[in-house]
Amino acid sequence: MKTNQPLILLIEDDPQFQMLLFTTLENQDYRVLTTTTGETGLIAVRNQKPSLLILDLGLPDIDGQDVICRLRKWSETPIIVLSARNQESQITLALDNGADDYLTKPFSTAVLLSRIKALLRRIAKTPSSHQEVFQIGDIKIELTKRRIYVGENLVSLTPIEFNLLSILIRHAGFVVTHRQLLEKVWGPSYVEHNHYLRIYMGQLRHKLEADPARPKYLLTEAGVGYRLSEGEGI
Amino acid sequence: MLVLQRFILLTAVHFSCNKITQSIEAEKLKKTYFNKYEAESFNASLLWGVFITLALTFISWHFREVLTPNNILLVYLLGVFFVALRFGFWPSILASLTIIPTFAYFIAPPIFSLTINDPEYISGLMILLGVATITSNLAKDIRHKAYMAEQREWRTSALYNLSKELAEARKESEIIEIGVRHIQAEFGVRNTFIFPDDSYFEQFPITQSLDNPPLWVANLNMAEWVFNHGQVVGKGTNNFPNENAIYVPMNGSTGIIGVLALDAINLSKDFLSKKRPLLDTYMYQIAHTLERANSVELAKNATLKMQAETLRNSLLSSISHDLRNPLATIVGAACTLEMDEDRLDKISRKKLVSIINEEAQRMSDLTIKILEMARLEAGEVVLNRQWYAVEEIIGSALRRLDKNLKTRPVNIQLEINLPLIYIDAVLLQQVIVNLLDNANKYSPELCPIDISVVTTVNTLVISVVDRGFGIPEEFHIKIFDKFFRVNEESAQSGVGLGLSICRAIVEAHGGEIKVSNRSGGGSHFEFNLPFLECPPIIDLEEKELML
Repeated sequence: MKTNQPLILLIEDDPQFQMLLFTTLENQDYRVLTTTTGETGLIAVRNQKPSLLILDLGLPDIDGQDVICRLRKWSETPIIVLSARNQESQITLALDNGADDYLTKPFSTAVLLSRIKALLRRIAKTPSSHQEVFQIGDIKIELTKRRIYVGENLVSLTPIEFNLLSILIRHAGFVVTHRQLLEKVWGPSYVEHNHYLRIYMGQLRHKLEADPARPKYLLTEAGVGYRLSEGEGI
Repeated sequence: MLVLQRFILLTAVHFSCNKITQSIEAEKLKKTYFNKYEAESFNASLLWGVFITLALTFISWHFREVLTPNNILLVYLLGVFFVALRFGFWPSILASLTIIPTFAYFIAPPIFSLTINDPEYISGLMILLGVATITSNLAKDIRHKAYMAEQREWRTSALYNLSKELAEARKESEIIEIGVRHIQAEFGVRNTFIFPDDSYFEQFPITQSLDNPPLWVANLNMAEWVFNHGQVVGKGTNNFPNENAIYVPMNGSTGIIGVLALDAINLSKDFLSKKRPLLDTYMYQIAHTLERANSVELAKNATLKMQAETLRNSLLSSISHDLRNPLATIVGAACTLEMDEDRLDKISRKKLVSIINEEAQRMSDLTIKILEMARLEAGEVVLNRQWYAVEEIIGSALRRLDKNLKTRPVNIQLEINLPLIYIDAVLLQQVIVNLLDNANKYSPELCPIDISVVTTVNTLVISVVDRGFGIPEEFHIKIFDKFFRVNEESAQSGVGLGLSICRAIVEAHGGEIKVSNRSGGGSHFEFNLPFLECPPIIDLEEKELML
C-alpha cells in the first residue's frame, strides 16, 4: 500500500525514542526502517537504499561522525543528525562531514517533519536543479540575471554578497556551516576567517530584511552556521 | 587516622642556597664559641699551664732578693688560680705539679738543686698544692656553670628563632622546611621528616637535603614501624641499634603524626641520652605548628563543605519542587489518557495532551538550566570565542524566544557601526535569552521590552529593560545567586538559575552584570563585555553595483 512512499532509515539506540519517531513517521505515511547500531545502519543503507537517514550521533558501536564519513564515500542519501544540546562543535563537524541538517534533543516532532519534507523536496528537485528564479517571502532572486528584488524594489548587492546569498538560496531551508560558506565564497584559505562572514551577513541583512536585528529570512544558528528560512513555520 | 594530609606531595621544598649557607655558618660560629670552654684544645691549655709556671719562676728569679720563697709561693698560687679560671682543671693541676720541681730547683735553697732544706718550704709547697687543687675544682665548677649558662642562652635563642620562623610559616611544607633546617643547625645532623600519606610513607624534603652528599634516604619501613609503635629506634637504642640512623616519633595532640629521621653516621652512641630533651622541644614546636596549620586548613575545608551542603540542599529542594510538579502532571495526564481513552471527548483529550506537552517543555528547560549551570560550575566550559556581530546574536536569541514572546513588542536600539566582538556566541546568546525570558515572565503582557547596545571606550554594554515589577533593592546582588528567587512561591516556574548562568557566562568573558531599577518602574539588566583585542581588518570589496 505504501510502497511508493519514501523510505526513512532511523539509526537510534534509545528504544523509547525510536518508538516515538517510528510512530510519528509511520503516521505521516512514510515507510520506516529502524536499526540501533552504526554498522547495521550502514548495511541497511546499502541494501534498502532509503530516501533519507535520521542518525543519532551517540551510537553504541561507532561514532556517528564515522557513519557520516563512511556513508558519504559512496552515497548521497540525505542525513539529518540528532544530537544533545551543547554540542555545537559536534554538529558543525557532522555538517562539514556531509550531513544535511541537524536537530538538538529535545525537539518538537513538527520541526522534524518539516525538515524531512524539505529534504525530500530537495532531492526530488535535484535532476532539474537549474532553477532560475527563487521567491522566498518578499524576496525574489533571479540567479542568472543576478537580480534581487525585495517586494518591488531592485536591490544592489556586491559580488560577495550575491555569492553568499546564492549559496544560501541553493540550500534554502537547510543550515550551511560557517566553514562551508567561507570555503565556497572566499576560498579554502579563508575557512578560519569567520569575521568576513559576520560583516557580509550583516550587510545582506541590512539590505534584505525589514528588521535586520530580527531577521525573518537570514537566520543565525549560533555556533553552527546560517540558514535561509523558506518562510514561516521552520 | 592520618591527620596530616598528603602535603608531602604538594610542595617539594627547594632550599635556597642562601638559607643553606646561613645555617651552616651559624653552626660553625656555635662550634668555635663553645670550643673555647671545651676540652678540644686540651693540649694547648696544658702547655699554657706549664708556660705560666715557668714565666712566674722567671719573674720571681729576678725578685728573689726582695721576696722570700714563701711570698713566691703565693705568686705561684695566683698563677695557678689564673690558669684554673682561664684554662680549666687539668692545666691548673699540671701547673701546680710543675711548680714543685721549679720551686725546688730555682727558688728554695739550696738553689740549682731539687732538694729543699727548710721544712717550712716543704709544708708551704704542700699547702700550695692543696689550695691549688681546691681552687682548680672550684674554678672548674664556675666554668661549667658559665658554660651551661651560655649554652642555655644559645638554646633559648635558637628555640626563639625556631618559634619565630615557625610562627610566620603558613604552609605545611614551609614548616617542615624550617624544622629540617633548624634541626640541622642545632644538632649538626642531616635529617628528614617522614609523614604518612593516605597509603604509604613519604619522606620530606623530597628534594636535596642541606648538605652534600645529597639527601640521605631514610628507611621508610623503619619509619612505619616507629609510627606504629611510638618508640625511638636506631643507633644508641635497644631497637635496631645497627641502623645508621635514628628514628624519633613526633607526637601531636592526637597521637603520633610523623617520624623524624636523623642521619646517625657522625653521631656518638650517647647522642640520644644527651640531646633528647632538646630534640623533643624542637619536635614539640614543629608538631604544634603543623597541627595549627592543619587545623586552619580543616576549618577552611569545613566552611567550604558547609557552603556546598547548603547549595546541595537548595538544589535538592528546587529539583524536588520544580521537577516533581510537572512530572506529577505529566504522569497523571498520561494515565488518564491511557485509561479513559474511549470515554474522553476530543476537547478533553486535546487539553490533556497539551498539558503534557507544556509541562514536559518546562521540565526540559529546567533540566537544561541545571545541567548548564553544573557544566559552568565544573569549569568544563571552554569559551569558543569567535568574532561575532552582537546584532546577529540578539536576533537569534529573539528567534529562540519567538514562541514565548508572542506579540510582545521588543524595541532594539543599536549604536551605528558596532564593532565585532570576540565572544562565545552560543553562551552569549544564552545570556540574552535568559534576560529576555525573565523580562517576559515578570512584566505585564504587551509592555514593551527594550534592548540596547552601546559602546564605551573599552566595553560593549548590552541592556535589557522591562516595565515589570522591578526587583527590591536589597536583592540586587543576591538575585544573581544560585537558586535565589525573589518570591519563592511565585506562580512563575523557575529554579533561580537563569541569572546565575548569566553571571557565570558574562564573568567568563571578563565582563560584569548588574541590575538596577528603572525610573518609572521595571528593572534594568545590563552587562558589559570588554574589547580584548582589536577586531580583525578585512579587505573591503569595491562596492560594485549589481544590476
